[in-house]
Amino acid sequence: MTRRQLYTGVTALAASAVIFILPFLFIFITAAKTKQDAARLTFTLPAEWRLWDNLMEVVEARNYMLLLAYFNSTVITVASVALLVLFGAMVGYVLQRRSSAWNKLIYACVLAGLMIPPAVVPTIWVLQSLGLFKTISGMILIQIAYGLAFSILLFRSFIATIPRDLDEAAIIDGAKPLQIFFRVILPLLKPVTVTVIVVQSIAIFNDFTNPLYYLPGRENVTVQLTLYNFQSQFQTQFNLLFMNILLVTIPPLIVFIFFNRQIVAGMTAGAVKG
Amino acid sequence: MSSVVLSNIGKSFGSLEVMKGVDLTVEAGEFCVFVGPSGCGKSTLLRMISGLETSSAGQIFIDGKEVTGVEPSARGIAMVFQSYALYPHLTVRENIGFGLSLARRPKAEIEEKVKQTADILQLSHLLDRKPKALSGGQRQRVAIGRAIIRNPKVFLFDEPLSNLDASLRSQMRFELTELHAKLGATMIYVTHDQVEAMTMADKIVVLNGGRIEQIGAPMTLYNHPATPFVAGFIGSPKMNLFEGEIAEREGCRTYGIRPEHIVLSTMQGKWQGVVKHIERLGADTILHLDVSGLPSLVVRTDGDRPIAVGKMLFASPVAGKEHSYV
Repeated sequence: MTRRQLYTGVTALAASAVIFILPFLFIFITAAKTKQDAARLTFTLPAEWRLWDNLMEVVEARNYMLLLAYFNSTVITVASVALLVLFGAMVGYVLQRRSSAWNKLIYACVLAGLMIPPAVVPTIWVLQSLGLFKTISGMILIQIAYGLAFSILLFRSFIATIPRDLDEAAIIDGAKPLQIFFRVILPLLKPVTVTVIVVQSIAIFNDFTNPLYYLPGRENVTVQLTLYNFQSQFQTQFNLLFMNILLVTIPPLIVFIFFNRQIVAGMTAGAVKG
Repeated sequence: MSSVVLSNIGKSFGSLEVMKGVDLTVEAGEFCVFVGPSGCGKSTLLRMISGLETSSAGQIFIDGKEVTGVEPSARGIAMVFQSYALYPHLTVRENIGFGLSLARRPKAEIEEKVKQTADILQLSHLLDRKPKALSGGQRQRVAIGRAIIRNPKVFLFDEPLSNLDASLRSQMRFELTELHAKLGATMIYVTHDQVEAMTMADKIVVLNGGRIEQIGAPMTLYNHPATPFVAGFIGSPKMNLFEGEIAEREGCRTYGIRPEHIVLSTMQGKWQGVVKHIERLGADTILHLDVSGLPSLVVRTDGDRPIAVGKMLFASPVAGKEHSYV
């Protein structure tokens, strides 16, 4: 490593520390302060460490609402990501392997799904007429609809790198189309599946606006919406708010730390053939 | 053992007709090789027999039964692909037993058959490896094992040796011929390599431009090529083929003589030429002669013959070995 590389490396690390670690540190120390101390919003160590008290207060707030929120968020995330992987891989497979006149139209629809912003009021109207408004299953369907286009594109480009000979070998071995998909293709999609799981689960778990619009009601609360517990028009309890943020940030952080290598592998796989 | 009969098979992609009126009978137990240049339709023909490709016209019979519209898995065939097409996420054991596990056979039976197959192909010590941990030749054997375990009526090979290096290729040629003798099964083998065709086949089918040029035993094709195309394709180095004035002088449209059927002399001969280029192969030497009135004359001669570029030589065809096409 030359001297110049060392300097640029250290500078880059310092810059990313300022951008990524400082805000997190600010959240952490504010979450450990007393109410009055936190209200000043200064970047100082707490005069009195109240990490555990704040934690218990946040968890117990509004009759243990946070625990219900964790449960709801987990159900929504797990169900939508599982279905996203299944449908994304299936559509991507058919789209890549079968050449028909419909392909262009389907592809255009997929791209439209990426480009056209969702309209909230008509969606609520559709949900209401289907009887899915204010239900967890309705929220799951919405998350699938929003994430499907991106997943299909990822799967499709990855499937293009799997040789067609494998499908044909399986056909000769006597596999039916579903068997080819589940026993040969799906296991080979592991890298891109991990990418889809991580990217989508973080996006869905962290989603604030969509549950706010489509999932009103006390019993339907998701983790991001619990942030409203400590924020009101006239008063905000910053210490509890930041403790809540800290708790909400942890699950995605764990997922990201564990899978971060595979995410990059899955993102770039399929970009270059061979 | 089963025969394969193709009757008036045709294939078109849209308005493009790539295969027209192919009639062929492969006898039971025969090793039949489809050979021809790239794009001649040999792989397409094989894929039509396998059922992976549909035929636009004609009928296919395996073992006397028509299979034209039948699913590939119900035709009683097994296929070895050029890329081997091993399932990368499965072990050798699972790869070989995949077809049986799809058919939901009992575990003990699968295990037993996989073991038998692995013994035939000397793969027993590799059963728990994944394909990426195998060498080219071993992968090839696993692919063949996957075919054998199905106990098919007909084996189909699609250029199975083209990804191997030269020495491994000649070893696998030998192993495949032995396997054919051991199993006695009908095998259809596609290659663009005329050496593979000559060394392995009971019967060679030479294809060109979507139609059959000639069918016959290897030495029949070598000694009596029916068309100039077959004459040029079978044999290495390829036959000297001349058209125009020289051919007219011999009373035909195309005149051909194999490089090994030309004798050289320093004194006299039919053609007089200057040595332009020499390829020493060890056992043989290939000479390219510059003969006036001929494009170029290729001659095969002894390995240690002392010849230098620029030397004047006389060349004459061996009587009775000339080929003429009107």
